[in-house]
Amino acid sequence: MLDLLPHILNGLTLGLLFALIALGFTLIVGVMEVINLAHGSLFALGAYFALSLLGGMWFGDTAFGAWWLRLSIETRYVAALFVGPALAAIAGMALELCLRPTYGKAPLYGLLLTFGAALVIEEIIRLGWGTGEQNLMVPASINGPVLVAGFIYSKYKFFAAGFSIVAIFAVWLFLEKTPYGAIIKAGAHDSEMVRALGYDLSKLRLMVFGFGAALAGLAGIIMVPIWGLRPHVGIDVVIPAFLIIVIGGIGSFWGALVAAIMVGLAVGITGAYAGAWATMSMYILLIIVVGFRSRGLFGRKSALEN
Amino acid sequence: MISLSDIPVRSRFQVYAPMAVMAAALSTAPWWLPAIGLYQYLGIEIAIWMIFALGFNLLFGYAGLHSFGHGAYLGIGAYAFGLFQQNVAVSLWGGLAAGILAAGLAGAIVGAFISHRRGIYYALLTIAFGQVFWFTSMKLYGVTGGEDGLLGIPRPPLTLFGLEYALRSNVALFYLAAFFLLATVLLMWRLVNSPFGRVLQAIRQNETRARFAGYEVWRFKWAAFVISAMFAGLAGGLFAMAQQSAYPDVMSLHQSGLIVMMVLVGGGLVSFWGPVLGVILYFVARDVLGGLTETWLLWYGMMFMAMVMLRPEGLAGMIHLGWKRLGGASEKPVILLAEKA
Amino acid sequence: MAFFEARNLHKRFGSRVVLENISLAFERGQVSGIMGPNGAGKTTCFHVLTGLHQPDRGEIELEGKSISGLSPQRIATLGVSRSFQIMNLFDDSVVIENVMLALPEFRTRRLSFLGGVFDDTKLVDAATDVLDQVGLAARAWEKATSLSYGERRALEIGVALAARPKILFLDEPTSGLGSEATRNLAALVRRLREHYTIVMIEHDMRFLFELADRISVIHWGQVIAEGTPAELQANKWVRRSALGEAALA
Repeated sequence: MLDLLPHILNGLTLGLLFALIALGFTLIVGVMEVINLAHGSLFALGAYFALSLLGGMWFGDTAFGAWWLRLSIETRYVAALFVGPALAAIAGMALELCLRPTYGKAPLYGLLLTFGAALVIEEIIRLGWGTGEQNLMVPASINGPVLVAGFIYSKYKFFAAGFSIVAIFAVWLFLEKTPYGAIIKAGAHDSEMVRALGYDLSKLRLMVFGFGAALAGLAGIIMVPIWGLRPHVGIDVVIPAFLIIVIGGIGSFWGALVAAIMVGLAVGITGAYAGAWATMSMYILLIIVVGFRSRGLFGRKSALEN
Repeated sequence: MISLSDIPVRSRFQVYAPMAVMAAALSTAPWWLPAIGLYQYLGIEIAIWMIFALGFNLLFGYAGLHSFGHGAYLGIGAYAFGLFQQNVAVSLWGGLAAGILAAGLAGAIVGAFISHRRGIYYALLTIAFGQVFWFTSMKLYGVTGGEDGLLGIPRPPLTLFGLEYALRSNVALFYLAAFFLLATVLLMWRLVNSPFGRVLQAIRQNETRARFAGYEVWRFKWAAFVISAMFAGLAGGLFAMAQQSAYPDVMSLHQSGLIVMMVLVGGGLVSFWGPVLGVILYFVARDVLGGLTETWLLWYGMMFMAMVMLRPEGLAGMIHLGWKRLGGASEKPVILLAEKA
Repeated sequence: MAFFEARNLHKRFGSRVVLENISLAFERGQVSGIMGPNGAGKTTCFHVLTGLHQPDRGEIELEGKSISGLSPQRIATLGVSRSFQIMNLFDDSVVIENVMLALPEFRTRRLSFLGGVFDDTKLVDAATDVLDQVGLAARAWEKATSLSYGERRALEIGVALAARPKILFLDEPTSGLGSEATRNLAALVRRLREHYTIVMIEHDMRFLFELADRISVIHWGQVIAEGTPAELQANKWVRRSALGEAALA
């Protein structure tokens, strides 16, 4: 049992990171009833924007560029944590505008469109940043090894897990305790209600998509130092994200969180016994859960079934 | 607008002319392909993907079941073909039968799991199962050869009535693939117009009504999944011969997505011929556009997005509209009657 | 014992009780009517009787054999057929195919994978017969979407008829019809009653009182009155309610 402890710890960390990825995904599904297969691509986009920002690539030889590179890595990192997601949000809003003709049609069209968008964004990344694997620098203060209960652990993983908890809590606060959250939740269940309350539904959708995309971009910046940055990282992360929301129940905040932890633990513990098959455990978990509960753990009936 | 299920209002000419054109184009392809600057292998590839796409559209267009993991069954067919050659006997018919049966069996198991599901949940489960097969093929090193796949799969000779034809040349293999493609077209045409096929289309249009007409809906969905997996298995067997290898890449989400894109862009949602047009369009984009620019996939992806947004009826629908503007469509009287009523 | 009988049906959705202890009996060869205000549970009652919803409690019998708990497709094959209030057609298909798909002889061939459908003269003739009954034979080869509203209503009934049912449930057949179309429909129901046992939900009281042999009034999920049209017209409660007035007017 004690041997398993590091793997459980590893699984929990992974679960929290998964939850961070799934957060924006579940928000968009809940409000818009669109499965955003480009979520992973927005994730990648956020990380690539941060990469460029940290390296100062955009500013070139200008005076501003020189000044920017003289700033400490910490300052630039914190700036990237805000600017990267903001740029991802703009990309997400552009995608929402493309999605408009598909509203009111079968959910298939949203799925198809975002699949196409994932392909397009991946190609754009190849054009803009090259096809190779790249590294996102992180400040030394959150990097390096740390000793926990006799095991060597990556300090950055703890930072990432802690960051996830804070981000998840902040999103929960936003949804539960602010009037904006109340409107978003109303939209998730009843778009008529949103209109009746006098809010502009199309603006709400644009905002929610932008917010979801920003969360994706943020997750990208946090995760990529662990997973590496390559153009098809988007496809690699969108799969666990969608598995999680299906297991948790489409549109359920707590479902996504519970499912993410479950998936993280499954991957972590399987990794202890059969490393090569760790990823497979997610799919098996999905098939078992959905085999017994067709709408996932916390799912309600949704228009996506039509 | 045309639709998949309005066949009875079409004239015989509209039905058989495309088949004749296709047969003529296929039988002469080895002459005109090099003449327009293309190569023989492309013909094989196109024929294989057309078989795959036609089988896929039975599920996607006709039954309205949106599978996003169909590359898996192509891959299973390819692996089964290769394993049969390497472990049982070097035989064309045996290998193809193994490919079809293995894909059908996998489809039967997966189909049993998913046929009670609807809408997006169906699509998501097909993705999950597709990933399971893809992942297994990469990790089951002893059987599948891991990420490299099975290499050195032979092209067994075609034996027919005691005669033997070598298939080592691409032209010979093309004729075999073209034969299977024409057989697929005829079989699929019969299938979608058979009672089974009509019930399938009825289920797509209105599942509740189909149940009240006394049909056990999920069994039809299951059968459609199995049949379409078997066509994918056939395509996979031919693919293994063409490539002389089988590898996990064909089972990836990317490839499964490509077939969806091809079928939709071609107009598989409204026309029997949609998948055929879609495959042609994709390979033209890849080989012609790809010759001009490295970024052809970006342009193809953007075209796909535009199609989903503006013209989900695809190329077939656009051809139909153009035809109608020229005044050549036989549907016109029908529409006039409707306006009078 | 009646030909089709439902005893003590209960149905609730969440905390809302929709059907409370409903018992209904329909005799062979009769036209039975169900009336009641909007939201009284009439359509839910139909859904339960035809298998779309399972009753929480209660028994449903066709010719003395229990059919409660069976799936809609099972119940349909036993000879229960229905139309829908919100039209439920195969819109991409031509008119005749809508009917063909519901024919019992089509159903027995459902696992034929290669045989043609539209060149099978027996199937086409049988379907044309049904279309003839509902007055749509001339439009057999047009798309279902090209029909007018009234014609679509008629097709809706045609699809239900095609199954050659023992009992036919019609959910508000006159809904949305003009006066002439309603008269045509009344004539159709008169012709059909020679061959079928019919149960219909109807808002048009004049229509219902003219055609029905017996009528049940459902309100708040319960049967509050039952009888022949004449008996109901004499019933004080029905008289006082808006329903009765419409019928007497």
